[in-house]
Amino acid sequence: MLIQITVNGETRGVHAPPLMSLGRVLREEFHLTGTKLVCGEGFCGSCQVFLDDEAVNSCLVPIATADGRQVRTIESIAEPRGPLSPVQQALKDADAVQCGMCFPGMIVSITSFLENCPHPSRLDVQAALVGNLCRCTGYERIVDAVVMLGAEG
Amino acid sequence: MRLASVSNVRLVIPNTVGEAVDLIASKDDPALPLAGGTWVLRGAVRGDGFEPTYVLVSRLPELQTIDWGEGFLSIGAAVTHQQLADALTKESSLGGLFAAAGKSANPAIRRVATVGGNLAATDFAAGDLVPALIVAGAAIHLIDEQGKRTVTVSDFLACRAELLRGALLTHVTIPLGTGISAHERLTLRHAGDYPVAIADIHVELGDDGIVKNATVAIGSVEAVARSWPTLADRLIGSVLDSKIAELATRDLSDEVRPRDGVDASSWYRLQVLPTVVSRAIRTLLHAGGHGC
Repeated sequence: MLIQITVNGETRGVHAPPLMSLGRVLREEFHLTGTKLVCGEGFCGSCQVFLDDEAVNSCLVPIATADGRQVRTIESIAEPRGPLSPVQQALKDADAVQCGMCFPGMIVSITSFLENCPHPSRLDVQAALVGNLCRCTGYERIVDAVVMLGAEG
Repeated sequence: MRLASVSNVRLVIPNTVGEAVDLIASKDDPALPLAGGTWVLRGAVRGDGFEPTYVLVSRLPELQTIDWGEGFLSIGAAVTHQQLADALTKESSLGGLFAAAGKSANPAIRRVATVGGNLAATDFAAGDLVPALIVAGAAIHLIDEQGKRTVTVSDFLACRAELLRGALLTHVTIPLGTGISAHERLTLRHAGDYPVAIADIHVELGDDGIVKNATVAIGSVEAVARSWPTLADRLIGSVLDSKIAELATRDLSDEVRPRDGVDASSWYRLQVLPTVVSRAIRTLLHAGGHGC
């Protein structure tokens, strides 16, 4: 099936089985490997991307349902040699990143969340991140970073 | 049984509900409706495979709408959990459904998973919307080659596979009544996993705070969500009291047939259910009920 999607601002066509996941297409066809496919069941959130400006788990989005829509991946969050995005910078400042496997999805999720809730409480952040698992950090510094970023904004 | 691999799956995109029904009712190659697709893709990871043919119904306008009618709410089958939660924020009598739509799974899933998918996934015992729709008195609207039909959620669940054979679930309607409702769920962690037990309660209170009418439903405890009329009867005639509700749930636990699962044993689900019910009562008290 021919699918046309706009990925990080560029409209692209791809022949793919209609129920192949968006995450697989991004990684295997477009080589956007910043999107991490981990659990494959929507629990861990490592594969999150923006689909029409909403953060979704790309592992559970059939590529056919993305036809004609806008996709933004972690690669679009900041220019390769430019400054970090505010969320990336806050996580760096809080020394929140360890192995990094979950962070592409974590950053998409946090960026989406702050667009709708720019000054969140700690509980707000915890509720927003229930679908983003991190097995390294224990979450506290991640939550600290988001709360501090919201307080500054 | 699903056998096809992802490479062999065919997807048809209909222009109308009628085209979708024709594809679903096909004798030679019946198509399965696909909306968000979350449960289908999750099943494939677990080795369930795919059906040979799907029909994409999520773009049909009739299935995408939420309409506030005269005395009822109509929810299209392709409406996502998040869209439903956003639409219900001001409707207090549907507070339970609001909570179910807004707390299920995790934010990213809620933006994709649909109302119709939650109802039609016959192998998913832990759907949040199903018990909430039971206590809301919802009706399920189906269409097949013979025409339209409407069934209660309980009747739908009793013979879901048969009703869905050759039929498309188009929308759900809910009467807008009085009263207050609550939805409580217990997960093993806060990390968006499936609930071990769900309790939904709707009550109508007299001016004196006495429960005049009550409906109770449980989800995830048994293989299929269901109403629990004998527990509802125990709530009628008294003020809302979480301890009484907890004891009544324990007293009636012989009526429950809990399921075993990888996430929790049947024994555990039964043990936690009274607490989940008592929490639902406490939520009702915060929503405007009178306690003793």
